[in-house]
Amino acid sequence: MRTALQSTYTPSVAPKAAPPAASFAAATPVRPVPQLVETPAPSTGAPRKSLVERWLASRWSGWLSPVLFLVLWSTATYLEWMPEQILVSPLQVLETGWEMTLSGELWENLGVSLYRLFAGFGIGSIAGLVFGVLLGLSSSLRAYVEPTFNVLRQLPTVALIPLFILVFGIGETFKVFIVIKATFFVVGLAVHDAVRAMSSRYAEVAQIYCFTRWQVIRSIVLPSIIPATLTGVRIALSRAWMVLVGAELLAAESGLGQMMELGRQMFRLDIVMLGVVLTGVIGFSLDRGFRWLERHLMRWKRS
Amino acid sequence: MAIQTLLHKAKGLLLPLVLLAAWEWASRQGASAAYVFVSLATMFQTLLHLASSGELWLHLHTSLARTLTGLAMGASIGIAVGTLMAQSRVAERLIGPLYHSIRQVPLLGLIPLLGLWVGNGNSAKLLVIALAAFYPTVLNTSEGIRQVETRFREVGHMLTLGRTQTFLKILLPAALPSIVTGISHALAFSWLACMGGELLFSAGPGLGSMLLNGEVTGQMDQVLLAVVLIALLAQGMNALFNRLARLLVRGRST
Repeated sequence: MRTALQSTYTPSVAPKAAPPAASFAAATPVRPVPQLVETPAPSTGAPRKSLVERWLASRWSGWLSPVLFLVLWSTATYLEWMPEQILVSPLQVLETGWEMTLSGELWENLGVSLYRLFAGFGIGSIAGLVFGVLLGLSSSLRAYVEPTFNVLRQLPTVALIPLFILVFGIGETFKVFIVIKATFFVVGLAVHDAVRAMSSRYAEVAQIYCFTRWQVIRSIVLPSIIPATLTGVRIALSRAWMVLVGAELLAAESGLGQMMELGRQMFRLDIVMLGVVLTGVIGFSLDRGFRWLERHLMRWKRS
Repeated sequence: MAIQTLLHKAKGLLLPLVLLAAWEWASRQGASAAYVFVSLATMFQTLLHLASSGELWLHLHTSLARTLTGLAMGASIGIAVGTLMAQSRVAERLIGPLYHSIRQVPLLGLIPLLGLWVGNGNSAKLLVIALAAFYPTVLNTSEGIRQVETRFREVGHMLTLGRTQTFLKILLPAALPSIVTGISHALAFSWLACMGGELLFSAGPGLGSMLLNGEVTGQMDQVLLAVVLIALLAQGMNALFNRLARLLVRGRST
């Protein structure tokens, strides 16, 4: 190392002073030296990209901080800056994840959580869609139901978890129902707003064609509310996921939330962290999946 | 005309009245039904009891103070970070990926981890609330500042304002509506986070703890009262904030 350094500096001072280093000098690039000396001079003239500029322009620049974060995390655990109950290494989290995958425990919890999510979400969004369309189309139904709908919509789902536990018990029913609640009102409102925002010209077209009510719904209302509905459904899905995790933390015999809660009670930080990462990954993929679906279904709009 | 609107309102009241009547009827169908369907008279008595014993005020005060403290912490840090991300591309590239990846974890899912790190006392709840307030303010602040029109920036350039002055005199006022929207989202989220935190870190007073106690002891009246109060307070705070925000934004834009 020292010889390499010397070799880069020696040529300008004494080219023949260190003959053994000459072989190294040939191998190591000597070019950086003149560049280093010259950099201050042209900075006034031609705009030379600084290191920061080049980093910003590079494609991997977004990865720097997560990688640094992981390195810092690993170093902190490797040097044992904190006790194991406070911080476990990322490797340990991966290892725990692998072990739980092999034992089937992880799949079971994951499957149960996703089953609850999609059961509740499916029922809730279909009910919300039907309700929203009916509410949007019929002004007499609106007069009777809308105030109640608006009041019930305001009830925060998280706060309703204990209420649902008292009503439905701590079994599966309560978790599915809490997901239905989280989904139904969001989707229902989005659909209702979309139907109300529909251009009145569509209704006139339907009148000209003498459409029946069902025809109006199928060939005019449903296609025109797709964009707003998909957005509403996507928001509902991520809310439902959060509420479900909360409900599982509070009362469950299985599921990702319960796995984390057990981990917390046993001071198994690796399990808790695994759960946190997994809930994040699932939330992220659900959101991304739905965005993709939105784009895919809306591709006619772009062209 | 007046009769028409009155009739319209009456139609809207019909369903709630029917539901209440059905509820009241169900509460008189034996002991097992009364466990879930608490009669309205019982609920009113519980409310009076809780209010006169001072328990209700303690819960209310704790939750509100906690939410506002957490909101103030989270929103101020959020505005600072959002500003930094909008002003410096280096900061944006460093903080952005971390921010967006941590944001993917549902807030309630972070609770067990925070519980292990900071216990289940007041600081853990404050942390959850502050986080809930942090996310939307960062996003709205950085978007708001980034979307300030270039002609405003050019004015600052022409007046040879410094970085701080440009920020205070031009960027901040122009981004204010967006920042205020961010804070109003933050208020709603932090109230929910406060309830979630109090439910899951069951310690000390607070409306969420009142909910949980009601659930554990099987007192439906207490649970229902807490739910109604939580929803009413959420609405009240939202309305109050919107009124304040309108004053603030209008005062700035003229």
